[in-house]
Amino acid sequence: MAGAFDFTAAVPLLPFAAFLIALLVGHFAPRLLPKGGAIPGILATAGSLLLSAWLALTVSQGTYHTETIYTWVVGQNTFDLHFGVLVDPLSAMMLVIVSLVAFLVHVFSLGYMNDEGETGLPRYYAGLGLFTFSMLAFVVADNLLMAFMFFELVGLCSYLLIGFHFREAGPPSAAKKAFLVTRFGDYFFLIGVVGVLATFGTSRFLAVSEGVESFPHLAEQALLAAQGEGATPEHVAGFLDVVGFEPQTWFAILGLLILGGVIGKSAQFPLHTWLPDAMEGPTPVSALIHAATMVAAGVYLVARMYGFYALLPTVLAIIALVGGFTALFAATMGVVKDELKQVLAYSTISQYGYMMLGLGAGGYIAATFHLMTHAFFKALLFLGAGSVIIAMHHNEDMWDMGGLKEKMPVTYYTFLSGSLALAGIVPFAGFWSKDEVLYEALIYGSGESPILLAGYAMGLLAVFFTGFYTFRMVFLTFHGDARTDTAESPHGVGWNVKFPLVVLGVLAATVGLINMTPVAKLTGEHIEFLKDWLAGPQGSAYANIGYEHYHHLLVDFAGYGANESLGVLVPAAVSLGLALAGAGLAWRLYSVPEPVEHTEKLGGIKTVLYNNYYQDEYQVWLAEGVTLPLARAADTFDQGIIDGVVNGVSSVSLFAGGRIKRIQDGIVTHYAALLTLSLVALLVAFGLLGGWF
Amino acid sequence: MLIEALIAVTFVSAVAVMLAPDKIAGKLAFALSLLPVAGSLWMFGQYDASGNALFEAGTLAFETTAKWITVGPYALNWHVGVDGISMPLVVLSTVLTSLAILSAWTPIQERQSQFYSLMLFMLASLLGVFTALDFFVWFVFWEFVLVPMYFLIGIWGGPRRKYAAIKFFVYTNVASLVMFIGFVALVFALDVNSFDMIAVTSALANDSFATTYGLGAETLKVVAFFAMFFGFAVKVPTVPLHTWLPDAHVQAPTPASVMLAGVLLKMGTYAMLRFNFTMLPGVARDYAVLIAIFAVVSVIYGAMLALAQQDLKRIVAYSSVSSMGYVILGLVAYNVYGLGGATFQMVAHGLISGLMFMCVGVIYNVAHTRMVGDLSGIADKMPVTAAVFVAAAFGYMGLPLMAGFAGEVFIFIGGFQATFPYAQLFTAVAMFGIVVVAGYLLFAMQRVLFGPFSADTDYDIVPAASHDTFAIVVLVLLVIVLGTAPEVFYGMIQDAVNPMVDSFPEATAVLTGGEL
Repeated sequence: MAGAFDFTAAVPLLPFAAFLIALLVGHFAPRLLPKGGAIPGILATAGSLLLSAWLALTVSQGTYHTETIYTWVVGQNTFDLHFGVLVDPLSAMMLVIVSLVAFLVHVFSLGYMNDEGETGLPRYYAGLGLFTFSMLAFVVADNLLMAFMFFELVGLCSYLLIGFHFREAGPPSAAKKAFLVTRFGDYFFLIGVVGVLATFGTSRFLAVSEGVESFPHLAEQALLAAQGEGATPEHVAGFLDVVGFEPQTWFAILGLLILGGVIGKSAQFPLHTWLPDAMEGPTPVSALIHAATMVAAGVYLVARMYGFYALLPTVLAIIALVGGFTALFAATMGVVKDELKQVLAYSTISQYGYMMLGLGAGGYIAATFHLMTHAFFKALLFLGAGSVIIAMHHNEDMWDMGGLKEKMPVTYYTFLSGSLALAGIVPFAGFWSKDEVLYEALIYGSGESPILLAGYAMGLLAVFFTGFYTFRMVFLTFHGDARTDTAESPHGVGWNVKFPLVVLGVLAATVGLINMTPVAKLTGEHIEFLKDWLAGPQGSAYANIGYEHYHHLLVDFAGYGANESLGVLVPAAVSLGLALAGAGLAWRLYSVPEPVEHTEKLGGIKTVLYNNYYQDEYQVWLAEGVTLPLARAADTFDQGIIDGVVNGVSSVSLFAGGRIKRIQDGIVTHYAALLTLSLVALLVAFGLLGGWF
Repeated sequence: MLIEALIAVTFVSAVAVMLAPDKIAGKLAFALSLLPVAGSLWMFGQYDASGNALFEAGTLAFETTAKWITVGPYALNWHVGVDGISMPLVVLSTVLTSLAILSAWTPIQERQSQFYSLMLFMLASLLGVFTALDFFVWFVFWEFVLVPMYFLIGIWGGPRRKYAAIKFFVYTNVASLVMFIGFVALVFALDVNSFDMIAVTSALANDSFATTYGLGAETLKVVAFFAMFFGFAVKVPTVPLHTWLPDAHVQAPTPASVMLAGVLLKMGTYAMLRFNFTMLPGVARDYAVLIAIFAVVSVIYGAMLALAQQDLKRIVAYSSVSSMGYVILGLVAYNVYGLGGATFQMVAHGLISGLMFMCVGVIYNVAHTRMVGDLSGIADKMPVTAAVFVAAAFGYMGLPLMAGFAGEVFIFIGGFQATFPYAQLFTAVAMFGIVVVAGYLLFAMQRVLFGPFSADTDYDIVPAASHDTFAIVVLVLLVIVLGTAPEVFYGMIQDAVNPMVDSFPEATAVLTGGEL
């Protein structure tokens, strides 16, 4: 009987088909394309969503699946490179999230793009289809090389979609920046992939059977051997001989290299600068990029190969610190932004920082949980912002809004649900997951790995800023009096906008309930459903990609130990208190009929924050102030010196030829004189050499 | 006899086009160029060889040997055949020539029958280069290739065409001379009585020297190696021997640039693979670090030069220097992924650079300018061309599922597995080229294709002619097919490079192979 797993490949391929239809029919017979390609896209993503749900259901019964779909390269006397699928709890969950958000974004696009009379719709829907395809294929990838390939394709799609309005000056520039900055991260990632292949001879995430190994497992064996247990796998030992590193060091280098790609795509410091610019893309695209694709890809990758990272305490600490710092750093910038989508952009960077903090702090479940809740509430917030933008005739400045609450209640209440989740107010989704991330950082930090406490402190402080900027945004947009004529009589929005908002609004309010760790700890009830979901089965090959195994690796290899004496109530109350304090401050300052800017009170800090800590400036300087002059200098050198030598050689031979040519002047007496002179010279030479004298 | 037939048909076609009136020359040449395409594809279908052409153990496809002339004790034979390394290059040559002829229809308006005839004559010579297995036969074809290219640049080129054509001809010819002396000196020292490349390879493998001119076998090998390396490095071209290339490209008409970047440069790396790396692997190994430095400098320096350019064609020209550096890196890695990747990259880069030059040519045909600063937002007026340009540029950047990525990632894997000192570091540094290439192509696209429309030119920006669009779309599709199914060529390539790896186990000894 055909089971769900037989259709795994169809999950990504359906949106790919939608891409082809939008591209080809859109080019050759645009009239035949219903709604500019939206209908094929909606049908395809709906199909992917149903199949993903079916897969998740099958996985929930404890049966997992992996198979090779297509062998890209059949290695002769070397390893193969292949495309394969891996369906386990993590990827099944992510498939559902991605296809759900993609589906809702397609529906929303009907309202945002079609109803607003945009041109170039087939190109838009082709881009969305390819984007969804790439992300879904990335999620099901069973090896690192395949993951890299689709990771890069996701980057291409972001380029195409951010630059959708290519006739304007801004979007193409933002698109270029997004691709270039993430490419810079991917450079390190690709070195990591190649390094993994060369070191282990495989880049599989999961060892499926005897002789078919996975790289995290080989790394584990090599590290065990270094501790004196068992032998280093032959291939790995050979390679380590070549590079001359200890396994621990070399694996840490590989882990950090791959992390480069993660930092680029997940917009972590210092490669976060592309993300706020990416707001130039149409708003539904922003929702897709920020909630479920592209940016999520980085964090997902760390979770996917957690069996490798859990072996490397140094790398984990770096992940946690980068994450914690990014969470705080981005949150402070979000405080002063005037445009709705800009606030959301910085909140995305900040929230992904939390996920990184969670992963680095050993909170695999917490981070995955936050990845899920964030996907829903951030998609919701972006789509809500899109709805506001439609209503405001594409004006995004929050100071031109105000009082939209009464005029668009559906948008308001769903947006509020998302905001409560983002700020981390109980019982909305974000509270549970963010709290768990911080809790993990705290217990491991106060346990055996004190460096994590630094990450915890930064993450905790960021909670306050998050509460503040979230509610500043809500109050400025929806509360008080309308500050412009547009806000007075906003444009209405249709069902295709409201439907996705309602679905996500409900999810943002409720999805946190699937893993209420504090409640479980307090009551002893067995309600941590996500934890059970990700635990992984005992005794099967899949156990190596389950939470239980990761936990064991963290304890044995990374030396993580939890401080069990801490209760759950106090840390949760502290973070909730900070979130409420932030929200309360926003309420004091901005929930008034006619709010004014308070940023002046920040003094010099305001300028720094407005300019995003001059991060863009120094990166532009690196490109235009360092690299470009260097390239021009190289060009001058090339034209002057290298080509100069070449032309010099030719001039010398031309010159010499010209001079020698003069000997043949056609005067016989000169020839005779030359002959005689040469003969004498020759005779003298012979005489000297032959010893005649 | 198939190879002879292929060369003969191409040659006869060249003559026929030469005699045809200008009016029909372009169409006739394209139609006739489909014959070698069909022939090479048929060969590809019938291909049944295994192993490497220069090792006696393997079998060759379509091999023929015939007595030609005898010079003293040396028998010079007509000897041709293909293996997994040359077969893909034969297909590349025919396909790219055909499409290049198509891309000439718009820009070439003078002395057309001569132009197309030279294109076909060049193809006939190229087919000889990639199939010859006797050094003299090979060398004759090798030199033959220069002649049509000299005229193509010198007659149909831009304002400085004479300078560029002479520079191209003299530079590469002097290089050929050095290479010729190096190889012939090596053969005279060996205990062989022919210039057959198989015989020379096996004599070198057995170290059967008759004389070494008093240098000692090792020194002689090193001298011969670098004489040949110099000769081929000019052709590739490797920094610092590259300066003829941008001049030639900028002056050459588009179809000549397509052939130059797409196929002619590959002659250099192909010859390096056959002569330097197959015949003298020990020397290549001893000087691996030096060669790797050349490769890495070519990649990074070439990319930096591309970044500084304002002329689209110059950008693509310099980026070829960069991409060909990867090929040399793959060769010096000397393992299956390295050598195989280098060969695959020759084909991949051939298609992609040909495609890029055609795209630039299509824009130039319409706008009559190629300067980045003169054009802005032309995607609005030429949407299909812009779309293909974007696809081509991403192909050049090594986007996965396009041919360039496959070639590059194979080379990178090979480079990482290489066992010469600091191989991993060299590879990692060379890989930075993928960031720089993204930089200059993205900047160029942003300015030329996107943004508000403006064109500092007297010509109307209108969509490209349909045959131009056809040519570039076909190439994009080929690049995607090869990127998603590299096995089309990579299987036979691995067949052909594995004997090389086996013949020189020192390069891979530390690493154990095997499926994991």
